[in-house]
Amino acid sequence: MKCVGKNVLRAEGEDKVTGRAKYIDDLSFPGMIYGHTVRSSVARGRILSVARDPAFDWGGFTLVDHRAIPPGGRNIVAMIVEDQPFLAVDEVRHREEPILLIAHADPERLAEAVAHIEVHYAPEPAVLDLEHATTVLKELTISKGDLEQGFAQADRVVEGSYFTGAQEQLYIEPNGVIAVPGVDGKSITVYGSMQCPYYVQRALRLLLGLDETQVRVVQTTTGGGFGGKEEYPSILAGHAALLACAAGRPVKMVYDRLEDLVATTKRHPARIRHRTGVQRDGTLVAMEIEVDLDGGAYVTLSPVVLSRASIHATGPYRAPHVRVRGRVLQTNTPPTGAFRGFGAPQSQFGIELHMDRIAEELGIDPVALRQKNLYASGDVTATGQRLDGSVSAHEVLERALQRHVKKKRPKKKDGLLRGTGVATFFHGSGFTGGGEVKLASRAGIELTPRNVRLLVGSTEIGQGTRTMHAQIVADTLAIPYEWVETADPDTARVPDSGPTVASRTCMVVGRILQRAALDLQQALGPYRTPDEFRRRSRKLLAKRPALQFIAQYDRPGDIRWDDATYQGDAYGAYAWGCNIADVEVDPITYQARCTRLTAVIDIGKAIHPLLACGQIEGGSLQAVGWALYEEVVMRDGRMANGQLTNYIIPTTLDTPEILVELVENPYPHGPFGAKGVGECPVDGPAAAILNAIRQATGVRLNAIPATPEKIMQAMDAR
Amino acid sequence: MMRASPFSYFAPITIGEVAKILAGEGPRALLLAGGTDLIPNMKRRTQTPAVLVSLRRVAELRGLANGRIGSAMTLSSIAESPHLSPHRALIRAAAQVATPHIRNAATLGGNLCLDTRCNYYNQNYEWRQAIDFCMKRASDGGGHPVRNEDGVCWVAPGSPRCWAVSSSDTAPALIALGATVTLVSIAGRRELPLNDLYCDDGIAYLTKPSDELLTEVVLPDATGWRSTYWKLRRREAFDFPVLSVAAAVKLASDGTVLDARLVLGAVASHPLLIAEAQELVGMPLSDDAIERLAAAAARFAKPLDNTDFALGWRKRVARAYVTGALRELRGDDPATLGLLARRATALRPLS
Ligand SMILES: Cc1cc2nc3c(=O)[nH]c(=O)nc-3n(C[C@H](O)[C@H](O)[C@H](O)COP(=O)(O)OP(=O)(O)OC[C@H]3O[C@@H](n4cnc5c(N)ncnc54)[C@H](O)[C@@H]3O)c2cc1C
Ligand code: SF4
Repeated sequence: MKCVGKNVLRAEGEDKVTGRAKYIDDLSFPGMIYGHTVRSSVARGRILSVARDPAFDWGGFTLVDHRAIPPGGRNIVAMIVEDQPFLAVDEVRHREEPILLIAHADPERLAEAVAHIEVHYAPEPAVLDLEHATTVLKELTISKGDLEQGFAQADRVVEGSYFTGAQEQLYIEPNGVIAVPGVDGKSITVYGSMQCPYYVQRALRLLLGLDETQVRVVQTTTGGGFGGKEEYPSILAGHAALLACAAGRPVKMVYDRLEDLVATTKRHPARIRHRTGVQRDGTLVAMEIEVDLDGGAYVTLSPVVLSRASIHATGPYRAPHVRVRGRVLQTNTPPTGAFRGFGAPQSQFGIELHMDRIAEELGIDPVALRQKNLYASGDVTATGQRLDGSVSAHEVLERALQRHVKKKRPKKKDGLLRGTGVATFFHGSGFTGGGEVKLASRAGIELTPRNVRLLVGSTEIGQGTRTMHAQIVADTLAIPYEWVETADPDTARVPDSGPTVASRTCMVVGRILQRAALDLQQALGPYRTPDEFRRRSRKLLAKRPALQFIAQYDRPGDIRWDDATYQGDAYGAYAWGCNIADVEVDPITYQARCTRLTAVIDIGKAIHPLLACGQIEGGSLQAVGWALYEEVVMRDGRMANGQLTNYIIPTTLDTPEILVELVENPYPHGPFGAKGVGECPVDGPAAAILNAIRQATGVRLNAIPATPEKIMQAMDAR
Repeated sequence: MMRASPFSYFAPITIGEVAKILAGEGPRALLLAGGTDLIPNMKRRTQTPAVLVSLRRVAELRGLANGRIGSAMTLSSIAESPHLSPHRALIRAAAQVATPHIRNAATLGGNLCLDTRCNYYNQNYEWRQAIDFCMKRASDGGGHPVRNEDGVCWVAPGSPRCWAVSSSDTAPALIALGATVTLVSIAGRRELPLNDLYCDDGIAYLTKPSDELLTEVVLPDATGWRSTYWKLRRREAFDFPVLSVAAAVKLASDGTVLDARLVLGAVASHPLLIAEAQELVGMPLSDDAIERLAAAAARFAKPLDNTDFALGWRKRVARAYVTGALRELRGDDPATLGLLARRATALRPLS
């Protein structure tokens, strides 16, 4: 009867494939009107005036600016630093910054009205890219050993700089919410497409000066997130709430693709610089690394993206002397934000290209160089974390090499240039450092006469949260999977299990649910069969109408972390991975195609192997897009290719054959041994592909996306 | 929020009725074939016809025999038609339009009359409004775009004309094949070499008046001809061409060129017929001759950045493509011609 490790039916699958699932744009409320955002058309400047055309008929329109924020509320988007307003007051710091909100019962009339609003600015000089950025929003240093001493031991010093571009999350469903004002005029409910209902609740409380009983946030069926619905829905929900309060009516705001592309967050563009001391035999002795991220105009979540990027910047390699300096720099572009991998794909792209460069300079095989330096149990990371148990760096590389058996080259020469590249990587599961302790997440189980209901704020966004949580609880209680259902994430009904991010929903939240299940079991007393479980639970319920067992995050005893020095156990557990990519480059069109990609990843335990493989295939493909196709073209601080005709992602025909292999080296504190899987697959493919292009063409690209024009330029320069 | 503005709808059954409605409604009306271009344009309000005349029920437009192709034939049926296999350029072009779903609805007539494209124009209403409408503008209640006297061209400010790009895949192929088209209005019917249907202007890109409907495409006898179509796009599906090369040659048994046509697509407001191809006539397709023509053609390929952002790359590939296409026609092993030829080989119809 056990279901962990089996491919049970997806909990919400039937609703989705039959069209029964309701997404935010499918919902409607009596009297609902439609909201729209008026955004800045300059990258930086002072707002001189906002004027409405007096000749235009403004009847029926609701207009709201920063002055509509109620007393007791604050014009600040609750995140790490209090710098970002919901609505600009007298200055704008990036294109598309929200200034004014407008709503009407007829959505067709909104564009017309916007044309009659004139915003005058005194533009100021703007910094539009990382290259010109100088203002530092956040800085950190991680050190280990003594860099000077390390370089003194080196036979050779290898340097390199690597660049990654912005990337759009491109969830199928754009951002959208509906805000419904309470009849008392002092409460609000927001429904929406989102990853983190409790983040949205916190943001609304601060904006409106309300307490948690007055703000209710409900996640509706969500068509993908990938980090893009981690922080941004807080802003959108705030806007809809302000309009709803002003109009006294429900307000729907659903972005179209253009608005979603130009205004919402993207992956941080990055510049990674390496200076590495190596010995003749390939032993790394000193790693000096600089990680610079383009944070855009406001701080948002960049400090935590930076810390993950910096901690992963060494890659899964041991070195006695390390210094990583990380910085987030400010530009006058829309703030960048969370995206699957959260900084680690950028910094590991850097180290993986750099490893191939080192191998080449030393005349060593790139695989051998990795084998020489990969972490093994007992090694100590740059933050001073001693790795033990479930350290699979060598194993995933070995298995990838076995799996990725060389294909026979076509006998005829067809003119295509072919190469194969490798990348090894790791990915910490859960929040960095003390993050999980601070979150103090809670989740629980409710006993009902028919079944067991999970109460958890973690959201299903297409990745399989509900299925996987139900499996964990079903097996813990030894009852059938079908007996476990999940309450909709609704801040009025479920406890805060922390955000649905950071590959934590299985390992961390799954574990909390498991502990809640054990509490329930204890209350029931021993039972031998599911039927007996049911009898006992009915008996228990007869005494009390609703029975809830809520558990809280419990730090595994031996973990310690110091935020001030960036020293300690950065993550409870790491997933380990290896990619091998085959690439073909057409010397006529300079187009590169990834034809085959092997991904071997240790995730501890696959609760649902099919879903886990799906995560790995999808994440790998997202990285293929980042490596070869997806380019955010910025002109004057605005995305110039804000539609899917020009911002292109791989189609099925551009998708390589992806060979996935799961490795299961359990983490004792994860449910059934599980670690994280969601983000890790994005870390390796881009570097493996570029390393393959290097082998195929002989040219070294150090920036992605590797578009045909970049490959052409590099081949010309040869 | 993207919705089309209101329109009235006719679904006539004969070509005669279509012509009559078009004559009566004037430029307010537009023909609706597969709708794969028109409907998205109506939602973005770049085409705002007050009247739509559907061709769906006009059975006369769906014939295919003796080199005559009804304009309402879908691109899938063309790509799969064994009758058309001698006209390889057409089959390859049709098979590479958009995606299978779109090809199942899209028609040949719609593809030939496809509106020209530009990054500053193929955007929603608000986007265009925010940067100020450019020179090309939807006419109020009219189907065809008109010239906006207050607007500038954002691609080439100061330019007196619109440079929106002809992005049809089948047009260059059919011009290379020497096709003519039949046009019908209440005034009667006429035949026109396909190349003469197009105008070098991004706004008034067709020479035909709006009350004329394209009923069929007529292909000349293909005996002795070889043809091909090479399309450059960034992905293997979906994308409009950012450059295309259609080539056809008629060869004598000794390999001497008797006739030749070369057309570039997606580099100008109309398919670009390269007159220099005639210089091949009377000699064999030598490497030298091919190179000379490729160099000449590349000089005419002046892509702007209004459909794709890269210029130098497309110009470079233009030359390589012409060379590749002509070498393929000469009979070189496709396996030596790179990724594109391999893809083209895979597209060869089953016979
Ligand atoms: C995602 C996407 C990708 C695309 N990719 C490509 C591509 O790669 N290559 C390409 O060429 N096109 C592409 N298209 C555009 C379009 O799908 C095709 O050009 C298609 O062939 C248009 O045919 P249709 O029947 O749908 O035309 P419609 O949209 O019905 O009509 C297009 C225009 O032609 C006019 N028209 C139609 N029939 C006639 C007739 N018989 N006589 C006179 N005028 C007529 C209409 O009035 C309208 O102005 C793409 C479209 C989309 C949405
Ligand atoms: S080429 Fe110029 S005028 Fe024509 S659509 Fe583009 S911007 Fe407008």
